[in-house]
Amino acid sequence: MSTATLETPAVAATPRLDWPFLIAAVLATAVLVTLVVLDGRPASAALIVLGFALGVAFLKAEFSFTAAWRRFLVCGEAGGLLAALLLIAVAATVIVPVAALVPGFGGAIAPIGPSLVIGAFVFGIGMQFANGCGSGTLYTAGGGSGRMLIALALFIVGSVIGSLHLPAFLALGGIDPILASTYFGPWGGLAATLASIALAALMIAGVARARGASFRPRPTLIVGAVAIGLISIGVFLAGHHPWSVTFGFTVWGAKIAALLGFDFSHAEFWQWAGPKRALGESILSDTSSLTDLGMIFGAMAAAAAAKPFARGAWPPARSLIAAAIGGLLMGWGARIGFGCNIGAFVGGVASGSLHGWVWFAAALGGCAIGVRLRPAFGLSRD
Amino acid sequence: MRILYALALIAGLAALITDHLTSPSSARAVSPEDFAGACAPCGAPCPSTQKK
Repeated sequence: MSTATLETPAVAATPRLDWPFLIAAVLATAVLVTLVVLDGRPASAALIVLGFALGVAFLKAEFSFTAAWRRFLVCGEAGGLLAALLLIAVAATVIVPVAALVPGFGGAIAPIGPSLVIGAFVFGIGMQFANGCGSGTLYTAGGGSGRMLIALALFIVGSVIGSLHLPAFLALGGIDPILASTYFGPWGGLAATLASIALAALMIAGVARARGASFRPRPTLIVGAVAIGLISIGVFLAGHHPWSVTFGFTVWGAKIAALLGFDFSHAEFWQWAGPKRALGESILSDTSSLTDLGMIFGAMAAAAAAKPFARGAWPPARSLIAAAIGGLLMGWGARIGFGCNIGAFVGGVASGSLHGWVWFAAALGGCAIGVRLRPAFGLSRD
Repeated sequence: MRILYALALIAGLAALITDHLTSPSSARAVSPEDFAGACAPCGAPCPSTQKK
């Protein structure tokens, strides 16, 4: 036996493709698509497939609202935040005019008041504890992070609790939604929306420069932002409303709670027409659930296609506790604050609705608190 | 962790299929914003139409 042979470590052949999980993710998607196609709903099938594409795009681009906001707050780095604004601008070019001009389509709107501000602020804290927002939780949980699987479970619990509290927060008051297209028409509304995004981008880049930090997004982030923006246009055209994430979680949680004997017949939220119908009907009749499920399976397929799936070790207990608390806060905050980074921020701003910017400001404030508290759970501040 | 994922996938998919086959479905997928009076993605009413 030669010396060379003795010194060469025996490297076990590690497969790049994780076939069982790749096949499982594709098969699960195919099953869901088949179920809705058999019901004669091609648009629902499109939402599942578009959700799948979103899962792949988020995972491949490592598109993270949470990390981007944290880097901006901690060191002024603005590349991730500007990439998110690019995503919103791409989506707005179709959403604002179509929502205003085409019957049956509508933008993401929400009342502006204490409920929006409190919910978004709490959501922002939760984002930093969990290390992921609504979309981030979906694609990282789907991508093989056991920690984010815990965050997702508690996100669902928190959103059901939030649904029970929302009517009381709405009673605190507020004003009706303010849409740019209502004041300036479809094309003027689009111009005003793009101008507001450009102004925000200039302000954010200005802060980054003043702090001596970079404001240029990585090339993969730019590609990811454009791809996700285009896919979210597809979601809008198939679902008739901008992409949203967290209402699906609320429906899933309420269905499980009802199965366990919880009675929602006296809960005001669940007597409103939309939630009542969603609770009574198949989960596959809810637009946000369709894209959520597609996104989980898309992220799973993309992760399993790149390396062995879910092979990582569990993080320390304190990190898991942070994920659980973060998920709970995000779920509650998303329901009280009318959505997450996707439904409220991306969807709201891309619809030309003022509530999107209010949500962003309040959630960024919550993130600032969350970032300061992260070390208590053994998480880094940057 | 892989076993947890496998179990969650099987249980989740079984629950979804069961729910779909035992619940009514709309002619097309809907969101709460599709309903009259909805003022938010969750279907909440507008402040101006809330009962005083």
